[in-house]
Amino acid sequence: MLVHILGGKNNLECSYRDSKIHSLPCKIHADCDAPVSKYFEPYVTSQEDGILKASFRGFPLLGMKINFPEHYKGIILHESIRPETEDEERRFYVVNNFNSITYWNWDKSPTKNDLFVQALDWLDIAEALHSPIME
Amino acid sequence: MNGNNDDNIETIECLNEYLSTHNNSEPFSYFSKVPDDCKTYPCVLGIDEAGRGPVLGPMVYGTAFCCINSMQILANLECDDSKALTEEKRVEILSNLLKQRNKVGWGVEVISPTFICNSMLSRSKYSLNRVSMDSAVGLIRKAVENGVNINAVYVDTVGPPEKYQAYLESLFPNFKITVAKKADSTYPIVSAASICAKVTRDQALKVWKFSEDLAEAASSFGSGYPGDPVTKKFLFDFCDPIFGFPQLVRFSWSTASTALEESAYHVEWEAIEEDEKQSKKSRTLMTSFFNMTKSETDSNVQKHNFFKRRNLSSTLEL
Repeated sequence: MLVHILGGKNNLECSYRDSKIHSLPCKIHADCDAPVSKYFEPYVTSQEDGILKASFRGFPLLGMKINFPEHYKGIILHESIRPETEDEERRFYVVNNFNSITYWNWDKSPTKNDLFVQALDWLDIAEALHSPIME
Repeated sequence: MNGNNDDNIETIECLNEYLSTHNNSEPFSYFSKVPDDCKTYPCVLGIDEAGRGPVLGPMVYGTAFCCINSMQILANLECDDSKALTEEKRVEILSNLLKQRNKVGWGVEVISPTFICNSMLSRSKYSLNRVSMDSAVGLIRKAVENGVNINAVYVDTVGPPEKYQAYLESLFPNFKITVAKKADSTYPIVSAASICAKVTRDQALKVWKFSEDLAEAASSFGSGYPGDPVTKKFLFDFCDPIFGFPQLVRFSWSTASTALEESAYHVEWEAIEEDEKQSKKSRTLMTSFFNMTKSETDSNVQKHNFFKRRNLSSTLEL
């Protein structure tokens, strides 16, 4: 199976820079638009220690904004038609991009011990391991 | 509790103004100026709550206090069980009580619905009874801090009165403490506290501002009691399939969670999932050791722990 990611430079540089992405500590069994700025963001407050506070479906959330290292970007892909068989080529279009993510835990301050935060360590290590050696 | 207020509430209008200017997703409290008499002469202090049962709106803890010598005022104010009085009568009694500010002091803590469900759905499960008791203790402490010369404390109970009374006695050994069922209809000072709490809750709902920008939802939510058809309709009409209800609603109430199961997407929480995964892992069948072929996971090249611990895997397919 071949996967195409289409969009190129124009879409990566597009005007959606300020997209706010929230990572919640739960799985919402839905795939649709959500009125985040209406129901969620009005309740996000900052505590004295800089940790963010919010509530989702009555559950207390604590979070922090994680900025991606320079030269990295998050992208959101969209597939118009999913092929019927697994062998067919698939085409994804870049529809949005983001430079940070707000990471939320259920009633627990995010720390270096969180998997999501640790996963970003790989970016530095990968760079050290795989970037071409300049002589 | 941050109960230091610059402006005194002297009328019901002031109370409404005060309630509408507060962030209604955080708890907040008000404590009146302490009458000079109450600093000098021994006082009685009553505590009661309003809005414990409803599925929406804040729960309000109220306190009222006055000198033992001035207790006749309470009878003149017709302080009685606040539940037996009509809403208009309660408002009338409170506005008269506010005029007696040289004799009677009062305070309330408004505990937001967001705080209530966040507490009940926290990792350590901070129960509603605990929230209630802590609020009552907070009000007594505030009265002590502000110089009220407390002699006796009367509290309407949550749960078994004996246990609650013993708890309060251990915290405040110098006061005569009485915790009783239906204290609001037995002790006039608890009735006064009850009226302060009940009117504050009613007004808080009246001036409720939806941060969700749902102007059309205001005044359409009813009493908040699960049996109220207006409240039922509100829960049905204002349910977002992703976020559920506006934060006026206490998500931790079974009325709310049942309504969500019917009209919103299912949400699974991470911690619960992890437990399930672990129990699956440990369920290795005895017979599996006799299998000739190894299970799939064993034959794969093992990733380094660095990746496994971070849930990282290389993606070749989507």
